[in-house]
Amino acid sequence: MQYALHKILHGMLLILGVTLISFMLMVWFGPDQTYTLIGKNATVEQIEEVRSQLGYDQPFLKRYTDYLVELFTLDLGASHSSGEQVGSILKRTIPVSLALMIPGFVLGNLVGIALGLVAVQHRGQWIDRLITGFSVTGMSLSFLIIIIALQVLLSTPFGVNLFPVRGWQVTGLGSYLQFVTVPTISLILVTVGYNTRFYRAVFVEESGKDHIRTARAYGASPATILWKHILKNSMIPIITRFMFSIPLVVISGSLLIESYFGIPGVGKITFDAITNGDQPVLKAVVGLTAVSFVVIQVLTDMMYKLVDPRIA
Amino acid sequence: MATQKSKPVSIFLSLTLLLASTACDLQPEDGDSANAFTTYRHSMDGAPSSLDPVHASNIYSNFLVVNLFDTLYRYKYLARPYQLEPNLAEGLPLISADGLIYTIRIKPGVHFIDDPSFPDSKGRAVRAEDFVYSIKRQFDPEMRAQGSWLWQGRIVGLDEWKKNGADYGQEVSGLRALDDRTIQIQLIAPFPQLTHTLVQGHSAIVPREAVDHYGQEFAIHPVGSGPYRLQSFNNASAVLVRNTRFRQEPFSLAAEGFDPATQSGLGLEPLEGRMAPFTDRIEIEFIAEDAARWNAFVAGELDFVKVPVTQFDQVLANRNPPSLVPLMAEKYRLIANMESGFVHTDFNMDDERIGYHPDPDRDARNKALRCAIIKAFDWHKRNEIFYYGIGRVFAGIIPPVSPEFDTEQDQDLISRDLDGAQELLSSHGWNASNLPVLEYGFAAGVTDRQMFEQFRSFMTDIGYPAEKIRPLTFATYGDYARAYLNREVMLATIGWTMDYPDAENTIQLFFGPNAAPGTNSANYNNTEFNRLYRASSTMQPSPMRTAMYRNMNRILISDCATISGISRTLILVWNRDLAMLPDRSFVGGFFFRFVETNAPSAGDGTD
Repeated sequence: MQYALHKILHGMLLILGVTLISFMLMVWFGPDQTYTLIGKNATVEQIEEVRSQLGYDQPFLKRYTDYLVELFTLDLGASHSSGEQVGSILKRTIPVSLALMIPGFVLGNLVGIALGLVAVQHRGQWIDRLITGFSVTGMSLSFLIIIIALQVLLSTPFGVNLFPVRGWQVTGLGSYLQFVTVPTISLILVTVGYNTRFYRAVFVEESGKDHIRTARAYGASPATILWKHILKNSMIPIITRFMFSIPLVVISGSLLIESYFGIPGVGKITFDAITNGDQPVLKAVVGLTAVSFVVIQVLTDMMYKLVDPRIA
Repeated sequence: MATQKSKPVSIFLSLTLLLASTACDLQPEDGDSANAFTTYRHSMDGAPSSLDPVHASNIYSNFLVVNLFDTLYRYKYLARPYQLEPNLAEGLPLISADGLIYTIRIKPGVHFIDDPSFPDSKGRAVRAEDFVYSIKRQFDPEMRAQGSWLWQGRIVGLDEWKKNGADYGQEVSGLRALDDRTIQIQLIAPFPQLTHTLVQGHSAIVPREAVDHYGQEFAIHPVGSGPYRLQSFNNASAVLVRNTRFRQEPFSLAAEGFDPATQSGLGLEPLEGRMAPFTDRIEIEFIAEDAARWNAFVAGELDFVKVPVTQFDQVLANRNPPSLVPLMAEKYRLIANMESGFVHTDFNMDDERIGYHPDPDRDARNKALRCAIIKAFDWHKRNEIFYYGIGRVFAGIIPPVSPEFDTEQDQDLISRDLDGAQELLSSHGWNASNLPVLEYGFAAGVTDRQMFEQFRSFMTDIGYPAEKIRPLTFATYGDYARAYLNREVMLATIGWTMDYPDAENTIQLFFGPNAAPGTNSANYNNTEFNRLYRASSTMQPSPMRTAMYRNMNRILISDCATISGISRTLILVWNRDLAMLPDRSFVGGFFFRFVETNAPSAGDGTD
């Protein structure tokens, strides 16, 4: 309990730090929405009017404390662009991003772990080199190229034309699978290289440790060594990678996937907020991402203790 | 054991299915199957952020706003050049002899759509008072409106109404509802473009009850009396469904300006006498990415697309006039739609390094420098490389789409003249060592960067040192706009989309009192130009007014205040089995109500 409280206190301080820095960046270097909201032939007075309505004329400290209150109360205000409540924007878009990203995220990691294990088992052999080469190729390919190529191959008459090019008219499992398949394949292809390289490195490090040599000396089978000793003892870096990707998946979504596949998720909303300077939306996304990271960090630390009781 | 192993898989599947079920936001609200409707699937290369008429400042918003709400006027569907047509208004306005009082009757029996903001959720009749309220909103500071510039300083008492606190209970003497169906507008001075402003999305009519009911979220809960009502809207798509209470007006080819010589192949003839809107459902996809938009179109997921320039090579068999390659011509129709606007690069005349200077000698040298830069600019190459050679280059600020365009314009004005440029520089004492640094502003982006590099190469051809031509980049267009509206950009490239088909709308871009932060981002200020603008701005269209416009154009060209310009040609392509004539010019979007998806196959049309 004391451990958890200690972590939560640290987390609160971290939230203050992260929100302060991100708010400073938004206020001093972020886009100024005034000039996208004024009409043609605006007068100086009209510009000042809009600046005042956006709160740009308020002192920094007041704006920051207002922001913290908004985050704390989850009363995130309304978008300056559409007038829609930020809370309802997030409520509408986060489930879409989750439904879109989770299959690719989970499968991408599972495939990465599986390939990493296979590579380690055949370390130095052609299979290992093939997997490593495949990973480097995957990492080198542009996400954009993968998306466009898959759209052409899977969704147009120039290819097999089995899936919709874009959209999100999800009404049940069938339509969900139709709309999510190509984005998921794209996501797997773009992440599997990074995941495989990462997990292979983790497994290689683990396989060189004393307890593995001891297990081999005891005559443990390769499968037992792989599953019981290497994989289990690699859980800490796996959990870390997995858990810290969650806030990005939940809050930030994937801008490219959502843009190119016409999916109304939170990633696209965030990108639009950045380019338009829609600070209420941006503040909410940045703030919630920070909070999520801290929550995840606390949870991860607790999970470490479960996986490895030696951690104090 | 097997059950235990499959548990995580089951949880994963259940979770994703649960999320998928919560993420279904595009199902028809009333449970109707989309297949029971006739549906037109449109694509746009950008998305509106608001559907409130007070924010309808770009083409994306206008496309939706003019279909969800009524404006008093619109442009005829088929007539080119564009002609005004009554929409909610019963007829064209009655204008007093002095041109100051406009009286407009609205059609009887027009109702807003049913909505919870009305008593018993039943849409009430549209009244003249609603128009008065809608225009007042543009002047209410609380609304953060973007359309007040259309009527600012024009209507008696409206500016004072704002100054006095924008109290809706207070009457504006120049903007009144004489009865439920009669609107009267009293102008401070004649404003011949007034009727055109009543076509704009900004002038669309909203009910006060709905604005009060939804507050800021009226922007996503539009309640109007247009041909369609909103079913769903997000940043990726919008779905409009037919307003079943929309007024019954038979479609007339003649009234819409049908030209059999050029439009007989569009399949419009069977529509004669039918009631608009013809299509039950409009699905609009907002797709900024060219590749995704094009892939969706060729996969048959869209009925209409603005062809990306990167696809022109694959799509077009000819450039002039543009036509489709045979394989595409079998399935699609094409129209080359010249944009109602132009792109121009302005010198900041407030910048003493290149613009006006208190020292007459330096002032003359700066003018020579500007003129040399204009002469060195190669419009032919700009058009070839960035607009596939199908843009229309012209001199000055009266674009080809406006009725006042001078078709006999001297072509030398847009021809590159390197010798003339070099002669101007040397005769005014400019050389590589004393030429000022040129700062060329743009919002960060690949195409803009390429345009800058091309500009730099043009200038080096006349001996301008490359290191003296520098990019001034901004992260977003908003930042760029802030800089040039604060007079901080030496050379600013701007695209202007005309609000109405009258060159006054482009000439005002160089009217002295409109200097930044107004639309005159060149901060150009010429006494004679200003005098002519003031004199012509109260005149009805006439040969004399056209002559004055052209005279202003010549003055501006002679002062070398802008490198101008080009009107881009848009290639619009749609399915052959649709009977329609799409258009993006002047507000845009009015054509949705005339789209017929079940048209019999027609012969060769505009393509």
